[in-house]
Amino acid sequence: MEPAGNIILRCEHLSRSFTTPSGTDYRVLGDVSFDVRENEFLVLFGPGQCGKTTLLNLLAGLDQPTGGFVEMQGEPVHAPSPSRGVVYQTTSLFPWLTVMGNVEFGPASRGIPKAERRKQAQYFIDLVGLKGFEKSYPNQLSGGMQQRAGIARAYCSDPSVLLMDEPFGHLDAQTRYMMEQELERIWRAEKRTVLFVTNNIEEALYLADRIILLTNCPSVICKEYMVNLPRPRNYVDPAFLQLRKEITREMDPTQ
Amino acid sequence: MQRIGKTVWKRLKANRQTLLWIVISFATLLIAWQVASMLSQGRVQIPAPLEVFEAFFRSMTVPIGKNTILEHAGISLWRVLLGFVVASVIGMAIGILMGVSPKAHAVINPLFEFVRPIPPIAWIPLSILWFGLGSSNKIFIIFLASFTYVTINSYEGARNVDPKLIGAARMLGASRRRVFTHVIFPSSVPYIFAGLQIALSVSWAAEVAAEIIYSQNGVGWIITMGMNNGNITQIMVGMIAIGVIGYLLSTLMRVVEGRLCRWNRQET
Repeated sequence: MEPAGNIILRCEHLSRSFTTPSGTDYRVLGDVSFDVRENEFLVLFGPGQCGKTTLLNLLAGLDQPTGGFVEMQGEPVHAPSPSRGVVYQTTSLFPWLTVMGNVEFGPASRGIPKAERRKQAQYFIDLVGLKGFEKSYPNQLSGGMQQRAGIARAYCSDPSVLLMDEPFGHLDAQTRYMMEQELERIWRAEKRTVLFVTNNIEEALYLADRIILLTNCPSVICKEYMVNLPRPRNYVDPAFLQLRKEITREMDPTQ
Repeated sequence: MQRIGKTVWKRLKANRQTLLWIVISFATLLIAWQVASMLSQGRVQIPAPLEVFEAFFRSMTVPIGKNTILEHAGISLWRVLLGFVVASVIGMAIGILMGVSPKAHAVINPLFEFVRPIPPIAWIPLSILWFGLGSSNKIFIIFLASFTYVTINSYEGARNVDPKLIGAARMLGASRRRVFTHVIFPSSVPYIFAGLQIALSVSWAAEVAAEIIYSQNGVGWIITMGMNNGNITQIMVGMIAIGVIGYLLSTLMRVVEGRLCRWNRQET
């Protein structure tokens, strides 16, 4: 079944190799092509260390591919742009700025006047549930709260696509469940195109409209799943478990 | 100032034990000093503590030479301030430049490594010949003393910026210039401050050394004059002034750092 919506981000035959210290080429990403549709929640799911972060950096424009290209709304991607916001694995908040300072950094970079960007930032701070922590510094926040601030900051620069690189990977299990639910709530309140990278199958199934399965190094796409379960999803729903089993078996046929 | 006083007081109250040990430590010193001064009668001269403190407080109103001790301290501090500020500004600029540009580092660093092992006081004779006997030669020495520390630490700070933060800023639409002023610079501030702290105490030491070698006023001059006149009490008065000012300078820097680098503190 074809996903609905306009294509917003496209990558064609994308590959990336790194030269190892011994001089040989090490291929991390091998020939990956896929489209991202407007307002979909697309999850890239694959085992750890499979080149997902490499792929995300290429999409962000922070790194250049060895082969192939990335296109955003018809324009080639060469450099970072506020139209693609990133939420990182570990916090990348500016430690010398408060939550407010971090969230308004994007609009401030684009020269938006203080009063206006304060209003925008406050809206997203409230949305992610950090009301009352505007003046806190990142090192005064818990891991989950730091990621909330990171999400608010990414949203506040008004991107067309949000790239999320295992944003909950470092959280404890309890906080992780809560943040998955929170992210879904935030996403439903403020629909954006999201490209979410994870190695956690439950997280993928809980959040995704569509899941792309990546194999290990060099990673290539091995399969694609549409997830048509009603939201918010239930981790123990039979259909959820069925799909989970199917994908797990796909990744590891011995199970 | 009032708030600082309050926090110091709060901390002292919380650490009564520590306060007690400080009192014991100073009391021991004073007793040892008193005993030494009593035993030394007729041999080397060690003035009694009370005599030195009396002379110290007297010198606040009665001039030593042409100036009171407060004026001498003011003159010394003014030179340190001038040399230190100029060195800090230039040092930060060069250090950060070296941190962000490997080319600049490749060119400047060898010169730096060449000049650095020469202690600032070794420059005093040259400085006197170049800048005369007045304040300028001392300001030059202070500049040399602070400059290296500020530069090296600014370099380390700029070089150790988390690349992820630079990436994040660029993704948020920050221009190159904004990345510099809003990411690289603030992220280097803790490093720079460590450099400024060392630089200030080294400057103070260099200033005193320069004054001892040749000067017409300042706290170092008080010591030299004391030596020339065989006035041991005056030497000790000068030394106490130097110690107190050095302590105040480093405390001041710590307070400023605490304010500016609040984000860098480890909170629990």
